[in-house]
Amino acid sequence: MAAPDDLPLRRFTLIEVNDAKVPLCLRLATSLAAKIAADLGASVLKIEPPGGDPVRCAPPFLPQGESALFQFLNTSKRSLVLDLASDAGRVALEGLLDKADAVLFEEPAAIAPLLRAAPPTPIEIAAFPVEMNAAARPVSEFAILALGGLLHMVGEPDRKPLRLGGHQASYAAGLTAFTGLAAALAARDAGQTAPSVRVSLAEVMQWVNWKAASGAEAGGVSPGREGKNSEFQIVPCRDGHVAVVYTVTQWPATRALIGDPRLGDQKFNTRAGRRQNIAELYEILTPWFTDKTRAEIQAAAQARGVPFGPIFSPAELLATEQYVARGFLADMDHPALGKLRLPQLPVQWNGRSFAPRPAPELTA
Amino acid sequence: MSARALCGIRVLDFGLLTAGANTSAMLADLGADVIKIESGAYLDPFRVVGKPDDNHGWWNRSPQFRFTNRNKRGLALNLKDPEGQRVIRELAGRCDVVVENFRRGVLDRAGLGYRELSAINPRLVFAAISSQGDTGPERMNVSFGSTLDATSGIASLTGYEGEEPRISGMDVNYPDQIVSLFATGIVITAVMEARRSGKGAFLDFSQREVASFTLGEEILAASADPARPSGPRGNKEEGVAQQDAHRCRDERWIAVTLDEPEPTLEAFCAGHDSADAVSALLARGIAAAVCNDGNDLLRDTALQGVTLVRDERGGLVKGLPYRLGGKGISVERPGPDLGQHTDAVLRELLGYDETRLRQLKETGVTSTTPTIGEV
Repeated sequence: MAAPDDLPLRRFTLIEVNDAKVPLCLRLATSLAAKIAADLGASVLKIEPPGGDPVRCAPPFLPQGESALFQFLNTSKRSLVLDLASDAGRVALEGLLDKADAVLFEEPAAIAPLLRAAPPTPIEIAAFPVEMNAAARPVSEFAILALGGLLHMVGEPDRKPLRLGGHQASYAAGLTAFTGLAAALAARDAGQTAPSVRVSLAEVMQWVNWKAASGAEAGGVSPGREGKNSEFQIVPCRDGHVAVVYTVTQWPATRALIGDPRLGDQKFNTRAGRRQNIAELYEILTPWFTDKTRAEIQAAAQARGVPFGPIFSPAELLATEQYVARGFLADMDHPALGKLRLPQLPVQWNGRSFAPRPAPELTA
Repeated sequence: MSARALCGIRVLDFGLLTAGANTSAMLADLGADVIKIESGAYLDPFRVVGKPDDNHGWWNRSPQFRFTNRNKRGLALNLKDPEGQRVIRELAGRCDVVVENFRRGVLDRAGLGYRELSAINPRLVFAAISSQGDTGPERMNVSFGSTLDATSGIASLTGYEGEEPRISGMDVNYPDQIVSLFATGIVITAVMEARRSGKGAFLDFSQREVASFTLGEEILAASADPARPSGPRGNKEEGVAQQDAHRCRDERWIAVTLDEPEPTLEAFCAGHDSADAVSALLARGIAAAVCNDGNDLLRDTALQGVTLVRDERGGLVKGLPYRLGGKGISVERPGPDLGQHTDAVLRELLGYDETRLRQLKETGVTSTTPTIGEV
């Protein structure tokens, strides 16, 4: 399916090089950055190794057996299989590079030195900062979350630390690489020499987790996971769970919402006081939720400007009124897999969404 | 810094806290001239959240504010005063980009929404970053950081296996942190279009959608198979043989990901100090890492890469999430004091003279001190 001819990045040609034997967590970042550009109209050619990008075989899977991960990360791209270990493959690649504006690849790829020296602007995804000199170090997203300090932040203080759901380390890096790519294309467009872009998952995770460094620098003690000692907790309700969240200025509204006279005790008036009496506070708060649904809780809280968060699963998000009203979930007709429903780019541009086109089949 | 892709671009920055203020900070890092608008009556909440003491000038010393707003100039203009609104409309004629993350309707009510400002300057790229987006039944809903962990789906997949879901919490507020990584690239794309076509754009970002977008494959899989099991999985990951955090002999946790199951790993970790265990596992080709806290991150300058830098006052501030042209950034100016550059910017961009500037000050349209009372 051809791209509409008025998409904002239509004038640019990008190559995503999927060399063999690259850690999957780096590939997810590369593919996400290129997918965003492709949905925005850039012509993206994905160079796959013989046998295909391993993400084609990565979970979660659709009932037909295809990878949902691959289908999400490779929308609106074209694909070409090249054996980059062969001279013929490399020559073919060089011919394609001559016509491209930018090339996306991973640091440990055997082909990386050739790509860094090629005419298009290099957008390079790595696991670690240059300063660590660790291109060959074994890596996983989970290890990156630990290094970046994010793992330390979630869970109970006396139990093991927890990762966040989803591919957060890879995807935050992928979003970053997209912004770096946009900056490089803007420089090229303005007739400047475009900067090369290097994104490491470890740097992105620390940057995202900046409050850990900021807090440690300011107070000498690092912030860390607080679990049941936190002022924000998860409480059960009639049909699931709700995150109790409010700012200092929203406490009076929160107190009025719950309506229990015991909350009027002055020990709960300040944040420090609430934290010192956190178990008692939650003993008072929790029963209010028990017999109410998430929808009832959200309506009552929002009416008072209190930002409680009902917890939704991915399946429940498909029916969320707000997402349906905004058309956030696209119905994409896939030639082999039928209708697929997936999130579109999270922006509306003069009211327009960017409908993804199906990911390419493996050819050759 | 070699990359100045946004040289000549000026940003009118109403961004607050992280989602808005950091998007304009990333534009500043690329060479844009960012002028941040606050008012004595409404400070960036980071000035208050990070209040270090009660002494005069406390509003200029918040670490969180200084972390996020380096490389910007700061103006304080009362947006509720018709005179302040008039100044903003004049400034909008001299800017290329607006970034704002007020609750929907706030700028419209002040006559400073996209409709009004684009009538003055049709080239304007207007980035509106909000909790739920600018349309839909929940557009006026409030949220704060971890509210969106819950409503985006991330919390439902986070937690100890078989237990209740978890949020990233107030010291992370994860969904707030990732918005600017995406929004900045879209703003740059729209600036390219505006340079070419002369037409700006209204960019409507929903923070909740950005967070849900990071679960794209989960939402796709759930749509194809409504019976797909969901819920917290601890540290396990689909398709990974074995993955968890383990406590070592020195009481430190390490994270380990294995391609083959290894039942003896827990005992191995318990019998070794964390650094030794990680070295031994890495030598066997196994991904492993010590679980760092904020102080570890401050100490490990190699791991930091370009993510932290110091401003001219020696204060630690945010660096870059990426390396451009092989480099990070140097901080050209620290985060501005409240209203520090009001007069200079109004003189430079709008040609105001001393009489006009004095008049604005005397009528309270401009200021350098908060008027919000005790906080």
